[in-house]
Amino acid sequence: MIRARFCIFILAALFFCTEKAFADQLSKDGVVKMFAAANENHMQAVKFIAEKNLQGANKKLEEAALQYEMILSKGFGNGQVYYNLGNTYYRLGETGKAILNYRKAHRLMPRNAEIDANLRLAKNSIEDKEVYYETPAVLQRVFFWFFLMNKNEIIAFSVSLYVIVMSLFIALIILKYQWLKRFIIGFSAGLLIAVVSLGIKIYAEHGTDRGVVITKKCSVRYGPGEEYEAKYEIHDGAECVIEQVKGKWYKVYVHVGIKQGDALQTDGDKKEDKEIRRGWLHRDDVGAI
Amino acid sequence: MKKSIGFFVFLALLIVVFGGRGKMYAQEVNLTTTVNKTLLTLDDKLTLTLTVYGTQDVSPPTFPEIEGFSVLYGPQISAQTRIVNGAVSVSKGYTYVLQPVATGKHTIGPSTMEYKGNRYTSSPVIVEVIESKPSSGTKSIDLDKLVFTELKTDKEEAYVYEQVTLFFRLYFQKGLPVADIDYTAPAIKNFMEEKLGDQVQYEEIRDGIIYNVLELRTAIFPIVSGELSVSSAKLKCNLIVQEQRNRSGSPYDDFFSDSFFDDFFGRGQKKYPVERITNPVLLKVKPLPETGKPKEFKGAVGNFNMEASVKTSRVKVGDPITLSVSVYGDGNIQTINEPELIINNKDDFKIYPAESTTQITNREEVIRGRKVFSKVIEPQKTELKSIPAIVFSYFDPRENRYETITKEPIPITVESWEQEIPIQLTLSQEKLPSSQQQVRLLTQDILPIMTGLSSLKNQRSPFYKNPFTVGCLFLPAVVLITSFFVVRHKDRLQTDIGYARNRRAHSVANKRLGMAESALSGGSASEFYACLSGGITEYLADKFNIPAASASGDKIADLLRNKRVPGNIVEEVIRCLSDFDYRRFSSDTGTKDEMEHSLNIAGQLITKLEKQL
Repeated sequence: MIRARFCIFILAALFFCTEKAFADQLSKDGVVKMFAAANENHMQAVKFIAEKNLQGANKKLEEAALQYEMILSKGFGNGQVYYNLGNTYYRLGETGKAILNYRKAHRLMPRNAEIDANLRLAKNSIEDKEVYYETPAVLQRVFFWFFLMNKNEIIAFSVSLYVIVMSLFIALIILKYQWLKRFIIGFSAGLLIAVVSLGIKIYAEHGTDRGVVITKKCSVRYGPGEEYEAKYEIHDGAECVIEQVKGKWYKVYVHVGIKQGDALQTDGDKKEDKEIRRGWLHRDDVGAI
Repeated sequence: MKKSIGFFVFLALLIVVFGGRGKMYAQEVNLTTTVNKTLLTLDDKLTLTLTVYGTQDVSPPTFPEIEGFSVLYGPQISAQTRIVNGAVSVSKGYTYVLQPVATGKHTIGPSTMEYKGNRYTSSPVIVEVIESKPSSGTKSIDLDKLVFTELKTDKEEAYVYEQVTLFFRLYFQKGLPVADIDYTAPAIKNFMEEKLGDQVQYEEIRDGIIYNVLELRTAIFPIVSGELSVSSAKLKCNLIVQEQRNRSGSPYDDFFSDSFFDDFFGRGQKKYPVERITNPVLLKVKPLPETGKPKEFKGAVGNFNMEASVKTSRVKVGDPITLSVSVYGDGNIQTINEPELIINNKDDFKIYPAESTTQITNREEVIRGRKVFSKVIEPQKTELKSIPAIVFSYFDPRENRYETITKEPIPITVESWEQEIPIQLTLSQEKLPSSQQQVRLLTQDILPIMTGLSSLKNQRSPFYKNPFTVGCLFLPAVVLITSFFVVRHKDRLQTDIGYARNRRAHSVANKRLGMAESALSGGSASEFYACLSGGITEYLADKFNIPAASASGDKIADLLRNKRVPGNIVEEVIRCLSDFDYRRFSSDTGTKDEMEHSLNIAGQLITKLEKQL
């Protein structure tokens, strides 16, 4: 009786997995076709730009952007798609959306230098020279795995270490070789580090919301509503941290670079400092990363 | 070449060896007269030492004329050789012990000796002898003579910013143990100060007594003119003085007053806390003279020199040149200000403020060091052929005059951007066009899109939806738990007899029932009932981990009741066992059907018991 129940369970599990795999395969084919078509449109647009046919280029770019957006809207998130979409928006002159998509691409492909290069170029072309917090280079070197791996890669790494640790435990129980304990301690320490890194990664990606301004110009207000006075203006591509959500409004803060020094001093002599400015932004003006 | 190197090495060795010997023999010959105390009573004894420094190969000096003393014994001759920091010093001492015979001030006359045809004379020493004091527990000790301090400067007059060396000296009589030294430096106002070297320790003779001297030196730089005062320095320490005891005449006193016992038990030693405060020191500070003061002078006082250099002498217009100006010498390095660049036209160079680093290289006698100014300048014209001259002025207090050092302009080549030769990549010299242009960045563009399909997978799918990941998480845990229990079960089977019997009881009983079935088909009734009875008994013996032989009906019944087995099952067990035993040994074995029935009952009974136990 028990054996029969176990067999049914195994069969059901196999059926579920096979069906799931089959469904993924189907969606992936569609994604591949749409991705290839969007790339084709993008490349034609680049050709049109070279031929100074801006109207044709814009049309093709809009088609490409729509296709990329459609892929993403179906729950298929991929760094390449975000990157290509960022490029498309950059060529359409929508720097904010380009930066937003480069940031998303960077989360999924943190080792990709092309994303960094394009992001830097896009950031240089925005109007607000805000000071965005970047992790110090020393920390990036020391905790390199955290900055070079995306969330899924850290998960895979943690699971691999977990399997190794469990296998070592099983071997220790069965074979009773005491020297296996040293390996267990070593791999367990690695597993602990990986799990802590994963926790921080998840918190960084989901615990703190970051956003990018995606409209040409918008007002940051004193409160969540049009009735509140505008505090200051912020432009396309500026990045902010979302602290609170209230209806259709985000409470955000931005880091602003402040130059300190005499008026007579040159820019090089002036001391640069950071200031945090808070306010409320309409949801339509901000794209959450 | 090798020969010449060897010759120089040999020469260097000779210089070192004979230089050292020269140093040794260069020590001056000197004769001193010292006493252990200058104030004593008629009961005391005076130790007089005539010491010849600089040689040991000498005849004894003449014994000085002394009135009011008689010689108890002497001379006791001692020779001493000391090597301090490679400097060898030799001395020979002649020690006499004298007994005062008359009170008053007595002069111990000079002693003389002859060495290599020269005559050497020591200074006389005045000693005062007083009456014996009434006997008391300990003799009074003149602490002021034993230890005193002194604060002095190397000069009484100085210029503003000139270095003055401040000496603090602690004198304590030779051989006197001093401990717990606590020095409080004088409060120095209107001065800048720098520590000079480490503390120095040496011997000095004062009034015929040898003192150990501990000297601390500080370089002070007055920053204002006028009559300045350096306040008193304070020193606290403990003197460890051996007390002399009164002897009562007891033989035990002689024994226990032995110095060995005194040292061992710490008796006879007394700590005298001593505090000494020096007199303040007055210093007359003169302002720097106005006559002859150069316009470039910015307050440096001492004796300095200057060097200047540039890192690159060939630059393009607007490119930075790092000019390094180093001022070095004796004086207050900290207060050296930046040397001046003599620029005729302000538009020639763009000049940035200098950064300076200070390094003190010597603190032994004077403060000596270097201050380096790194200055970035950017030439603005191609016509410029040199960096302007650099001028530095300082006041030399030794010469009482201002000095100005001028560094000649450093030649540089300033090129325009258009004349720059572009980077040659792979073109050969022949193929180069005659008029080359510089590579210009026309525009900045983003890098192209990614078109690779191999890595096109959904990176947003959560890991818990991946069956492989989920399997990797759960499967090892299941295997681990299973293997843990399996291994534990196997271990217990091997080590725990009760557990092993309990686990195999059912299978053993089934085996017995199988044997009974065989006996039934074989027609052996007694063997059949023996198997049935044995099967149940052994089963219960295994379950309760007791010997099968001791599993009697009453004991089994008690054990079953203790295990809270229902009464009907217990009664059934007892009834079956007595029935099987009865039929086993009697002629009433029953029919085959009855035997099969008994077999079924035994099987059911074991199954019931298995559920209960």
